[in-house]
Amino acid sequence: MRYNEKELQALSRQPAEMAAELGMRGPKKGSVVKRRLVKLVANFLFYFRTDEAEPIGALLLEHCRITREEPSGFSISFVEDIERKYRFECCSEEQCQEWISALRRASYEFMRRSLVFYRNEIQKMTGKDPLEQLGISEEARFQLSSLKA
Amino acid sequence: MKLNERSVAHYALSDSPADHTGFLRTWWGSGTAPGPSGAGRRCWFVLKGNLLFSFESREGRAPLSLAVLEGCTVELAEAPVPEEFAFAIRFSAPGVRPYLLAADGPAAQEAWVKALSRASFGYMRLVVRELEAQLREARKSLASHRRSSCRAAASRCKPPAPDHCSPALENGHSPCKDRSPGSTAEEGGSRPSGWASLEWEVQGSASLLLGRGQSPVSPETSCFSTLHDWYGQEILELRQGWLKRARVGRAGWEQKDRP
Repeated sequence: MRYNEKELQALSRQPAEMAAELGMRGPKKGSVVKRRLVKLVANFLFYFRTDEAEPIGALLLEHCRITREEPSGFSISFVEDIERKYRFECCSEEQCQEWISALRRASYEFMRRSLVFYRNEIQKMTGKDPLEQLGISEEARFQLSSLKA
Repeated sequence: MKLNERSVAHYALSDSPADHTGFLRTWWGSGTAPGPSGAGRRCWFVLKGNLLFSFESREGRAPLSLAVLEGCTVELAEAPVPEEFAFAIRFSAPGVRPYLLAADGPAAQEAWVKALSRASFGYMRLVVRELEAQLREARKSLASHRRSSCRAAASRCKPPAPDHCSPALENGHSPCKDRSPGSTAEEGGSRPSGWASLEWEVQGSASLLLGRGQSPVSPETSCFSTLHDWYGQEILELRQGWLKRARVGRAGWEQKDRP
């Protein structure tokens, strides 16, 4: 699959939802914990060497699972191989919680579900479709029917 | 730079909804020529959220390419060969080559330009945030409506219902509280005028709607099923609290009862 690295690098320079130096260990056997700058931008998690401007890698946060890992860390794995984990170590319980909740909200699919939920609730309460009032009720990405239960 | 490509490809093929699909002619990376050339290549394109995938064919099982639609603009363009329905995805970051694409007809071209220009994560977040605010308002005005009708009936009034009645709502909160929607770089000044005016439209009507939301609740909200659900939620909460208190109370009694 072809993708443009420069495009992703440009995205990694955008303001982050969350950014911190964390311990990170890749999913490969025998990999060790390394200090990385980890940056959440839109639905991508970028990781950098602490002395470099360009990221070493990016994780697309769609269809992923965020798991709390003891003592104070979390892991990210993806549905096609849930055992293959990227592990992160935080410096406190609090920081860990912050990352977990930010990462769980970071997917586009999650945003879409939230939108459909709000749209439904508002319609139930007020009898009006809020998106119709915004003039965007026809957009495919906001349709209730496009979501599978 | 690494990317979790296997997961990305898996997402591309998963049954989560596609926001737009269709055949487009593409000139990206065709052959070794630095610039676009020839008639391009006809591929099947799938837009999912802020990601645009291309496939060899409709049945293709592995994406050929991925474009991340952040920090970009979509505009009509001229194709290298007489091709009337071309458009380009241009990135505001320097040195990122634009994508040149062409649709089969004017309707397809328009639909693609529209879908692509609204694909960013920031746009979705903006709409989610707006609806979140509207729901909060709707709940508030419903609660105050209830309060006033309680007072009228001279009955004992309960505190206003919480803003969040479901865990999904809490999770749906916009991640960045410290930035106003307009100030994120991906929503910054590099959008084409269409995008900018759309955002203005969304925000403009948002404030109008919020203004309206502050007025006393509209008659529609007092429909039976809405009120039933609303009271139902509160009763469930009260019941849970009562059960908890009852348990604690019982525990206390048992201790006292012991000799």
